[in-house]
Amino acid sequence: MKNLHYLIGLTLAGSMTFTSCGGGDEKVDGPEDGMDTTTKVENNVNTPVSETFFQVPSPGEMLTFIKMVGDPKKKDISFLNPPDNQKNYNDSKSKALNFGIYSCDLSYCSIFEIGSEALKYFKAVKIMGDQIGVSTAIKPEILKRLESNLGKPDSLAVITDDVYFSSFEALEDSKQGPTLALVVAGGWLESLFIATQLAKWEPNSPVIERLADQKYTLENLIEFLKKHETDANVAAIKTDFEGLLAEYNKLTEQTTASDAKKGKDSKSTVIGGGTQLVMSKEIYTSIVAKVRSLRNSYTLTK
Amino acid sequence: MRTILLTLLVACFSCSGYSQSGVCGNFHKKYCVLEKTAEKWSYNAQSKSGLFAQGMTNKLRCVIYKGMDYRISVCCETVLGDKVNYKIFDGRTQELLFDNSAAENTQVFEFQSVSTRQLVIEVAVPQGATEKDKHKATDAACVGLLIENKVTDRQGFSKY
Repeated sequence: MKNLHYLIGLTLAGSMTFTSCGGGDEKVDGPEDGMDTTTKVENNVNTPVSETFFQVPSPGEMLTFIKMVGDPKKKDISFLNPPDNQKNYNDSKSKALNFGIYSCDLSYCSIFEIGSEALKYFKAVKIMGDQIGVSTAIKPEILKRLESNLGKPDSLAVITDDVYFSSFEALEDSKQGPTLALVVAGGWLESLFIATQLAKWEPNSPVIERLADQKYTLENLIEFLKKHETDANVAAIKTDFEGLLAEYNKLTEQTTASDAKKGKDSKSTVIGGGTQLVMSKEIYTSIVAKVRSLRNSYTLTK
Repeated sequence: MRTILLTLLVACFSCSGYSQSGVCGNFHKKYCVLEKTAEKWSYNAQSKSGLFAQGMTNKLRCVIYKGMDYRISVCCETVLGDKVNYKIFDGRTQELLFDNSAAENTQVFEFQSVSTRQLVIEVAVPQGATEKDKHKATDAACVGLLIENKVTDRQGFSKY
């Protein structure tokens, strides 16, 4: 019996890793970069295994911020990907990318309290979700929850977040890594696109700073895509995003004060240091153009 | 016969597409959540859970924004007790920013950053952490890393 427990432990260890509920994936550190870590653990349980997972904030986080610092009553949907376009996506790459894009559009409608449009986008997400294999995550009863919470933006945002996270987990559970990578890429790019549509150029504005800070997320996202770049579709998107990163690399960096100190209530620590990314109007314009170009090439719109 | 049975059992676990999320997927959502307080923390999608063997270390690189408060909660199955260590490094400079072993093994760390940055959170289960328990696999246990955030309270007048 003792052996049995040992073997179960060994087998569990073989499948061991940080499982994702965010937007990350693993990369083995050190000389064995890219090796299959499962085999590694099975061969020697006592060997410490170090992996790095690259996480991507959800599109909802960006949109919530934009609403907070911008005009919360703005209800412009002209720049979203029209739900009817879903019938134009026939290959696996565009289906996965646009599932991410529609999920982000759904979040936008929920967060900005455009309930009637949220229902339309939910239906588009549902159709696309069924096609990429996450139908179990998007249950019909969610539509009823959405309908009964149309006047409650907080509840709508929670429901649409649930759709995104459940879909993410369903793809992860079914080991559809490349599809997951495309979904995350589509969702992030759409959140950036929406932010650029709502933002107005103004030096040092919170929105422009947040757009500049997307460089860090983009770096994480590219690392995440690298894990699945043996898939031709993911490799193509990675190349696209590296082009966008080249624009971001033109940002200048300013060092900030490096002292870390306890906050006033002594419960919270303030971490000093780091760098601030500074966006010029010229770079902003080129990033906005690049984002628009990529996004419209994925949605097959002009 | 017994050997064959054991081999088959291991093979079943190994070859059935044994889901990682099936093991610990939402562990952090279920077990790392703190009791509700007046403060409204939001779930951050960069949270993660995983199954850890003794001596295992994983790193997670995430993005945190200035102007936000963050709360990181690390929790684990009881067999690990409070033996899970975590350290937080600056993602670019690798400077050590926090080490829970130097803070009474606290499971919760609240902070804000003066600049947006990448952080690397390193979670480690030391050798000998799991205790022998005849009811479960003793070489592994779930560890959850919950990240929450909220807008930093503004001090003084603000445009926004």
